[in-house]
Amino acid sequence: MAKIKLGLTLYSFSSEYINMKLSLEDILKEASEMGYTGIEIIPAQMCPTYPYVTDEWIEELKSLMKKYNLQPVCWSAYLDMGLATGRDLTEDEIIQYTVNDLIYAKKAGFPIVRSQFSITPEIFVKMIPFCKKLDMKLTIELHHPHFPKHPLWQQYVDICRGVGKGVLGIVPDFGIFINTPHKLWCDQALEMGFEPEKFDKLVDLHKAGVSLEDAQAQLSLNDNEKQIAASMYDEFETRCNPEEIKDIIDVAFYMHGKFYYAEEGQNDPSIPYDEILKAVAETDYDGFIACEYEGHHFTDEIPAAQQLGRYVAMCRRIIGDSIVEA
Amino acid sequence: MQFQAFNKILIGDQKLQSYEEAGITLGYQFQIRYPSYRGTFLSCIEKLDIYLDGTLVDPSHIYFCLNGKEYLIEELKDQYKAYWFVLDFATIKVMTDEIPTAGPHDVTVDMYHRIPYAGYNGSYLGLPSKVTKTLIYE
Repeated sequence: MAKIKLGLTLYSFSSEYINMKLSLEDILKEASEMGYTGIEIIPAQMCPTYPYVTDEWIEELKSLMKKYNLQPVCWSAYLDMGLATGRDLTEDEIIQYTVNDLIYAKKAGFPIVRSQFSITPEIFVKMIPFCKKLDMKLTIELHHPHFPKHPLWQQYVDICRGVGKGVLGIVPDFGIFINTPHKLWCDQALEMGFEPEKFDKLVDLHKAGVSLEDAQAQLSLNDNEKQIAASMYDEFETRCNPEEIKDIIDVAFYMHGKFYYAEEGQNDPSIPYDEILKAVAETDYDGFIACEYEGHHFTDEIPAAQQLGRYVAMCRRIIGDSIVEA
Repeated sequence: MQFQAFNKILIGDQKLQSYEEAGITLGYQFQIRYPSYRGTFLSCIEKLDIYLDGTLVDPSHIYFCLNGKEYLIEELKDQYKAYWFVLDFATIKVMTDEIPTAGPHDVTVDMYHRIPYAGYNGSYLGLPSKVTKTLIYE
């Protein structure tokens, strides 16, 4: 049976952070008071000198983590492939950015670096000696719209099971299973002028598996509504089944419990959490699931703490027996 | 349908102020922030148009100031080592003899920015962030 620890990505508090309501220390204090121990940080969000992270900032972060009894778990790096105008990063640059993140994370005490799939399988393999030298784990996030059976991810899984065993891994983000528009998305569609009655019907048709073309024809949508409908079908297409998490869990060092809106009744109608978490609980996964509230992309009026509280309650309702203290 | 919630931080709440050096007024200035949950590289700012009371400001009159350096709008695209931390304000200086009158003015910032990790092989997600805010000139 799985031993699941619930952690927190500080990214959940993005609204509070960018609106300067909570500082890094305030967020860590709140995380501690909410009962979290395992922490994920995004340096591209919180380190003022990114992508070059100073020893002073690392020392400040370490002392804050210690002050609030928090455990460093995941250093979330980005591969900003398009940062230079008119070209992608070169292989040397990708390696340089990734090595730097491994070094910074090592110094800050985070055992896992999360990177992105654009690293390519070839460069992912080239990172193995650096990981071994630094005694670090490097992971890439399996994020929507990708899915476990995607050919590229099959390559990554093979690498993690083969030459990269124990060093290279994957971070599945549960957003890959999203299949229904969430409340905040629906609110935004209505704000953008979708006629409410027609919108409700569109959601029902989408849920019933009616094709986009048939739904558009049935509802006689205007151009704006057609565009939103197409967006809904694209963003909330079912690409994989929650059971498929089991196919890759042996190489999952960490997981992202992504959600956009947790309802009061310990439920998320957008991402099939009952099925996902039960599937995870049936495996021998021993690690963190990071609570990752992402509704802040849609509104800054909902407190992250409220959403995180509901999310944790939902997880405990579904797999309480498999959740252990960190 | 994403990221748009961050646009409200684009134009700072600070006042529209005169830009003075040695006691001489050389133009006006205001503060902007990068409208996202994380910072970016200045090279990712693909468009940055400024309007004062609906009139487009000549881009050659704008100096973009951040981290102790000053850039022409034309130079931003080359600054891929210059990072704009998400909590930091950049100062927009407009060099002009047409100083705003005291009182409220509509400032519009029309930015188009590349998301450097969203996409690859030369094709990246770009986002528009266009915000108008009334600032008081003092």
